Amino acid sequence: MTHSRKLKGAMLIGAYLLATTMLTMPGKALAEDRPVITVAVQQIVNAGALDVLREQSNVGARVFYSIFETLIDYDRQNADLPQKPGLATEWKRIDDKTVELKLRPGVKFHNGDVMTADDVVFTFSKERFGLLDEQDNARKDGKTLFTASASTAVGGKVPPAEVAAVAKRAWPNLDRVEKVDDMTVRFVSTVADPTLEGRISRYGAEILSKRAYEEAESWLAFAQKPVGTGPYKVVEFKPDNILVLEAHDDYWGGKPPIKTLRFAVVPEVASRVNGLLSGEYDFITDLPPDQINTVESNAAFEVVGGPITNHRLMVFDKNNGPMQNPKIRQAMTHAIDRETIVETLWDGRTTVPAGLQWSYYGDMFLSDWTVPEYDMELARKLVQESGYNGEEITFRVLNNYYTNQVSTAQINAESFRQIGLNVKIEMKENWQQIFDKESGPRMVRDWSNSAPFPDPVSSIVNQHCQNGQQQQVGEWTNEEFNALCIKLETSTDLEERRASFRRMLEIAEREDPAYTVLHQSAIFFGKRKDIEWNWSGLQSMDFRADNFQVVAPGN
Amino acid sequence: MVQYLLMKIFRALVTVTLIVSAAFVVLRLSGDPAIIILGPEAPPEAFEAFRRNWGLDQPIWVQYFKYFVAVAQGDLGNSMRDGRSALVVVGERIPLTLAITLPALFIKLAIGLPAGVVAALYRNTWVDRLIMMLSVAGFTVPSFVLGLVLAMIFAVWLGWLPSGGSDTWAHAVLPTVTMGLVGAAVIARFTRSAMLEVLGQPYIRTASAKGLLWRNVVRSHALPNAAIPTLTIIGFLVGSLVAGAVVVESVFSWPGVGRLLVNAVANRDLAVVQVILLLVGLTMVGANLAVDILYGIVDPRLRIKRLQAGS
Repeated sequence: MTHSRKLKGAMLIGAYLLATTMLTMPGKALAEDRPVITVAVQQIVNAGALDVLREQSNVGARVFYSIFETLIDYDRQNADLPQKPGLATEWKRIDDKTVELKLRPGVKFHNGDVMTADDVVFTFSKERFGLLDEQDNARKDGKTLFTASASTAVGGKVPPAEVAAVAKRAWPNLDRVEKVDDMTVRFVSTVADPTLEGRISRYGAEILSKRAYEEAESWLAFAQKPVGTGPYKVVEFKPDNILVLEAHDDYWGGKPPIKTLRFAVVPEVASRVNGLLSGEYDFITDLPPDQINTVESNAAFEVVGGPITNHRLMVFDKNNGPMQNPKIRQAMTHAIDRETIVETLWDGRTTVPAGLQWSYYGDMFLSDWTVPEYDMELARKLVQESGYNGEEITFRVLNNYYTNQVSTAQINAESFRQIGLNVKIEMKENWQQIFDKESGPRMVRDWSNSAPFPDPVSSIVNQHCQNGQQQQVGEWTNEEFNALCIKLETSTDLEERRASFRRMLEIAEREDPAYTVLHQSAIFFGKRKDIEWNWSGLQSMDFRADNFQVVAPGN
Repeated sequence: MVQYLLMKIFRALVTVTLIVSAAFVVLRLSGDPAIIILGPEAPPEAFEAFRRNWGLDQPIWVQYFKYFVAVAQGDLGNSMRDGRSALVVVGERIPLTLAITLPALFIKLAIGLPAGVVAALYRNTWVDRLIMMLSVAGFTVPSFVLGLVLAMIFAVWLGWLPSGGSDTWAHAVLPTVTMGLVGAAVIARFTRSAMLEVLGQPYIRTASAKGLLWRNVVRSHALPNAAIPTLTIIGFLVGSLVAGAVVVESVFSWPGVGRLLVNAVANRDLAVVQVILLLVGLTMVGANLAVDILYGIVDPRLRIKRLQAGS
């Protein structure tokens, strides 16, 4: 090779390196005493936009707490998840339908505006929810498939239809949010609502900047770079790739401890673990239990995490085949060895809960309630009493949509066979196939339920009552249960509510099983050991100063 | 020649239409984007609203018809995940994919071609066996395994390179090398086979018998004749430049077209999948066309045949 050819070769390589760098290099943080922290996540948000009313998955909760805040917050690192002041410093009941809140003074949005009652009123307005008639009409006009963005629901200030639907569901009885003065607001319900404080604190009730929303080009533009009050502001968001947040130094809770917080999408578990161990990432999320030892075998890293406000369930369709007989469903609930599942598949790092409820329900938590006991003899007896004649029971399962889903299904199916049931696992690719009625009778499937605020309304009512998914897809219904749903939602008498909830659990978990709780879901994070940081049962990642500290910088 | 090209383009259009139609039917019938994108805990009203909004509540033949009318008018649709134009969503990923697939192609050719030729020239010696052993290993080890092993060695143990992401040029090294090594193994095997076939031909014996130096026989007679089948496989590799990095992009968290395709299929985000399929189809067709033209340049006999067929 001649000298000039070598030179050409070197130039070509140099040009490639330069081009690659230019294509891929993000803006570098300037010298700064605070660290740049990278969190490797399986996904930033499923719905592709940073809108709490569109993103209904638990993955979004991880990132949103850094950007947005609610009026009433939780002590998120406390296992009991007690409520605490957030953007409101105090609140009081005016009557059964009304809660008044005093806003925290001096709270600044990422755009520098000071938060006032106007922002709160706007956040819960029909306009923001996409419920105005003109927004509805605009959506109807743009119903055409695959048209340009200007004529679809995401064009202009019209949120997609699902945002309106989620808002309606989150606030079924909200009449209005009214401004009392600049720093005082009132939430007024159309009916007596004992859950109003809970709803105000829930995921989906985060306060937005009115001015930023109105100035944004479109709903989508705002949802790509939303303006909230959280400790970090959005700098760059590329769905499926990266979310870059920067410290919001005017944050009311003190200067954030991290200069740049990056959430990088790393879909493969092995790649996330490799990246953590090689120092590429400071945190990794969605670590399955079988990878915990791999991370902890390195002294520089540790795993934190545990049970969250989500339970794994097995759900029954009572309309088909042997499932019509409640004794078969009861037998199944008694044939599940929940403790063994928790010990073997979860290494004992989660728990078997007391039915579809969480201790953070406070006064509404029924501490003496339990899941059906594991009793194979009782289960066999119930099968015999049912007159079961060996008909096939299909159990539809997704390929580990939930952690350990397939292993759990296999263990349970084997138990069901041991009590004499002819259970067949059907692997499905997606939720449509799970719900599909055409491909065969639906009988048993997997699911999980969250409790976005501390009241049974947030879970058993939202998911299993008349408007909940299970009844909406036609899997199960019960007249007495449905009457109790209304009582639980509207009664303000604590004892009456507790009694209603207890009876609902008796019906849905014991007498006419709609579902059975398997175990509490759990999440695990791998992290640098030199970072002091605690996880939250609400699944949010908190990077505020009181929950993040590098104890041995430079490693 | 023009008629030949027109025929090729017509066939390509038919192929692309069939691919896009098949993808439409399969994706529409096998999953509901509403539940996948909004999540199974979203309220039923949200699913209905989503379906209504994107026309998913209409009969599939209506959806199909509207889609093709829109495509014919140049509208390839929007992503159901974030509402952006599918063309924009895909377009912003292409440079990133090319940033690893182009140098990977270079590695494939730089290693695969000489390795295949050398293996053929030293047939049944230890050199041939060594090259073929490595080639079979590269050919059979799945790229995600090779990628993870390379990441383990160079990122976790040695700490020389990042294990994933796309922040700097260093992040491109491991995915590029992974794809390059796997592809080189394929090319080496094809090149060796092609060379062995040519080396067994009478004209090679004749050339040797005439007293030509062996290196001249190889350079002037063997290599040009072995180029035809090798060109075919190179054409295939060029054609897969755009979406040929699905696995490697996932392993190394490289946000290119391949990973977008995986996500779009999982989410049943049809417009995005269709744009990628169109892109892949067009790249494949373009590459095949280029290879066809190159056949004629490399082998004049083919050119003459085509001219005769056209006259």
